[in-house]
Amino acid sequence: MPNRNKILKIVGLAILLMAIAAGIIAWYILTDTYTNTDDRKEKYTVEANAFIKEYQQNDTIANKKYAETIIVVNGIVSEIEPVDSTVNIKMIDTTTDAYINFTFQETSLNEAKALKEGQKVSIKGSCSGGAYSEILETHFITFKRCALNK
Amino acid sequence: MKKTIMLFALATLTLATFAQKKRVTTSATIIFDATTPKDAFPKAENKTVVASINTKNGDVAFEAIIKSFSFTNPTIQDHFNGAQWMDSEKLPKSTFKGKITNLKEVNFKKDGTYSATVTGNLTLHGITKPVTSTATITVAGKTISTKTDFTINLDDYGITGAAIGAGKVAKEPKISVVADFK
Repeated sequence: MPNRNKILKIVGLAILLMAIAAGIIAWYILTDTYTNTDDRKEKYTVEANAFIKEYQQNDTIANKKYAETIIVVNGIVSEIEPVDSTVNIKMIDTTTDAYINFTFQETSLNEAKALKEGQKVSIKGSCSGGAYSEILETHFITFKRCALNK
Repeated sequence: MKKTIMLFALATLTLATFAQKKRVTTSATIIFDATTPKDAFPKAENKTVVASINTKNGDVAFEAIIKSFSFTNPTIQDHFNGAQWMDSEKLPKSTFKGKITNLKEVNFKKDGTYSATVTGNLTLHGITKPVTSTATITVAGKTISTKTDFTINLDDYGITGAAIGAGKVAKEPKISVVADFK
């Protein structure tokens, strides 16, 4: 009898520990957020025009290589497009009108607003990939959670 | 020779006039809201949507890169892009092509707010289905602002999963599209 009680206690304790562990894991997953892009290490550093050209040559291969990776893009601010209360920054290849469109993370919005057209800039962000636009008849590549590369 | 030059000039002018009727933005916004009383996380925003409106013939269109939808939670974002859901590696883009069916009731030359009916085809997850929605069009000087909300049935687009069955993801998420044409 004492042995049975001991086993029941151990099983009960194991179930309790598993429940606590599951709760901690669930809490961690649900409250998890993206790390500030400033603190993330880039996988690639590219020049805007060369990067666009790579997408124009084969966007499927380029997406496999770049999508959902952190990339630093060096280029010139071609256009600043207002969105809600903030702005998107665009780098455009003037020969084909293909472009990269960057949306900035919440903590870096003021950095984006301070940029000027024609300014040389280095932007770090998560590449969302690119595609051919039937509307524009050219390629477009988008980035999210961007920050100025310092 | 004079006749050729005249014809060329006329053709150029006609093309230029036609081109002016199509307005484009590359920073339209789509909000995807699949939240439920059980889960407030499945909500994302895409601020890099390409959208167009043709004020002459009422054609409207948009294109969105699926991986551009930004969630606050990385796990939800992974699920959204995964093979069970959007399968965005194989199907990276969603498109809409449609028409304003009551174009005569919208005066793009006069400031004001107009109600428009938009009918077209939405392609999502590689499946194309017809969609009809009411849009608000606001004309203010040279700017045309458009906003529309509609719901889609995920099952119609071949998107299923345990989270939908468990009520953590809405079966009919709300899609809001906002575009400002400057």
